[in-house]
Amino acid sequence: MTLRMTLIASTAIVLAGAAGAETMKIGITQNNVGVDSYQTTYESAFIAAAGENSDVDAVVLDAGGDVARQIAQIEDLIQQEVDAIIIWPTNGEAVIPAVRKAHQAGIPVVVTNSNIAEAGFDFVKSFSGPDNITQGARSAEIMCDKFKDMGIEGEAQVVHITGQPGYTTAIERAKGFEDRMPEVCPDVSIVDTQPGDWNREKSQQVMEAFLVKYDDIDGVYSGDDNMGVGALNAAKAAGREGIIFVGATNFAVGYEAMAAGDYWGSIYQSPVDDAEAALKTATDILEGKELPFLNYFDTPKITQDNMGDYTKPVF
Amino acid sequence: MADITRQQIGSLLAKQGILIAFVAFLIGFTIANPKFLTPDNVLSVIRSSAILGVMALGVTFVVISGNLDLSVGSMMSFSTIVVLDLHDKIGPALAIPAMFAMTLALGALIGFLVGYLKLNSLIVTLGMLSAIHGLTLTYSGGKNMDIVDKEGTWFSVFGQGTALGLPIPILMFIGVAALLGLILSRTSFGRKVYAVGGNGTAATFSGIPRARTVFMCYLISAACVATAGLIQASRSLGSQNTVGQGLELEVLAAVILGGASLLGGSGTIFKTVIGVLILGFIQNGLLLIGLQFYVQFIVTWVIIILAVWLDIAAKRGKLWSPIA
Repeated sequence: MTLRMTLIASTAIVLAGAAGAETMKIGITQNNVGVDSYQTTYESAFIAAAGENSDVDAVVLDAGGDVARQIAQIEDLIQQEVDAIIIWPTNGEAVIPAVRKAHQAGIPVVVTNSNIAEAGFDFVKSFSGPDNITQGARSAEIMCDKFKDMGIEGEAQVVHITGQPGYTTAIERAKGFEDRMPEVCPDVSIVDTQPGDWNREKSQQVMEAFLVKYDDIDGVYSGDDNMGVGALNAAKAAGREGIIFVGATNFAVGYEAMAAGDYWGSIYQSPVDDAEAALKTATDILEGKELPFLNYFDTPKITQDNMGDYTKPVF
Repeated sequence: MADITRQQIGSLLAKQGILIAFVAFLIGFTIANPKFLTPDNVLSVIRSSAILGVMALGVTFVVISGNLDLSVGSMMSFSTIVVLDLHDKIGPALAIPAMFAMTLALGALIGFLVGYLKLNSLIVTLGMLSAIHGLTLTYSGGKNMDIVDKEGTWFSVFGQGTALGLPIPILMFIGVAALLGLILSRTSFGRKVYAVGGNGTAATFSGIPRARTVFMCYLISAACVATAGLIQASRSLGSQNTVGQGLELEVLAAVILGGASLLGGSGTIFKTVIGVLILGFIQNGLLLIGLQFYVQFIVTWVIIILAVWLDIAAKRGKLWSPIA
């Protein structure tokens, strides 16, 4: 077969495929697969979910954390005339012009996991992801309830280790926690807040400094379990016991520390739920269903008391 | 008589400007928060600086030889992930030498490219920064690596153990610093490193094997990175793939803060240790003062500039000079 014939043949197959069934071609550009277990699991769950739905033809891309690459990928997806684009923003601001371009081309855009900045909301059909403000608030409730059990809700002192400064998830969780705590436990004081940058080692260093600075720490809230376990390591090394650790995004290490009785609670957020919710949001839109703009999936509380109801996270 | 004393003070200032700046910071932070200089805090700062510190010791050789090493951060992530993974597969006793061998192989590759092929070290190690990151992710499949049996392994001794009343990471930092300090200042190899970095062409014409010297510097750097990865892995017994990300610039800052010239040919192990401690104590001191963290980034930078300025001013004997 000559080259030309091959080309004609393959073009014909592509055309036939496009014209044949009512398949929905959905493109996704992810933030940074492989940088952590959550994103890695998300990708495999998304591919699995798309594979199970015979109406969906998925184009799965990854920006590798690079804004410029993500913008180029969105433009590629527009060129390919996909039916919907799902985007996990590398940067909530910088992707807006590309999202607008997709909107102008008549392609519905779904934002997944972390929302883009408000300036871009007009160009987005729906946001599918966790409600981080609620997560922060729920962490405050978990901690407050535990303090009440211990009878120290009138005097407890809490330190707060946040995620990367400037990162939306970090800001929203911190806000949820710091707003909710005074409502449920008005006499608990949050004595210090410092960033742990989503990094276990950094969080451990921050906690070491807190332990030197404060003789009395009753609770530690960290923006995810990875940092929470870093803080726990610091407390263990310093021989400080009886501190209530509460995190968010329950990681396997956090789950294990809960099983060992060292770590009190967290928020159960599954990357599998996250990925399936994103795909479902996109297919619902293409099928003409009405969806709320902020289409959250539920992220329940998990503590030592109810952890038996949940399987250990895979990440 | 008075003149001689003044000269002596002057020469002390000129030689130890950075040390004096360091002591000044310690006093300042202690006034701000008396807990700063408690033994517990000092030990905890030095212990967490040990990881950065051991890496900086190796990079000091590379910088003195007139080159850069920007790959140490992602190389440290690699070592950490590899040793944690192998720990559960083949046991710690074999995992540690295997991890050292793999890390040294990466160092040898960089040393070959920069030393023997004479490629620009900035380009080579910048490329290796992302190449090694990719290698780590490929190796781990992007997943966090955790030792399953955290309580029952002796592997935790390197990061969490103590001996002679001191944390092991500190002892390892001191040990590596002493060994490398001796190599750099007391051996002919050490002399060659300075010669190659000071004037490579002259060194070559004096019969100094330039390529081999540079190659050896990268091997030393890789060995230090492997040691740092060992401490890191042992300290937390689990790790993200990005654990060393960004450390390359902190390492370089510590080495330069210590007074090594980016152009090569000058610097000492002792001064790098001081540079490392300054960075560690600044971070800890700002946390203890409780400064809002947005401001901390700025203040850290101001203090580093102040330290470098004090160092240079002490060398010149005055605070300001119209000529460089």
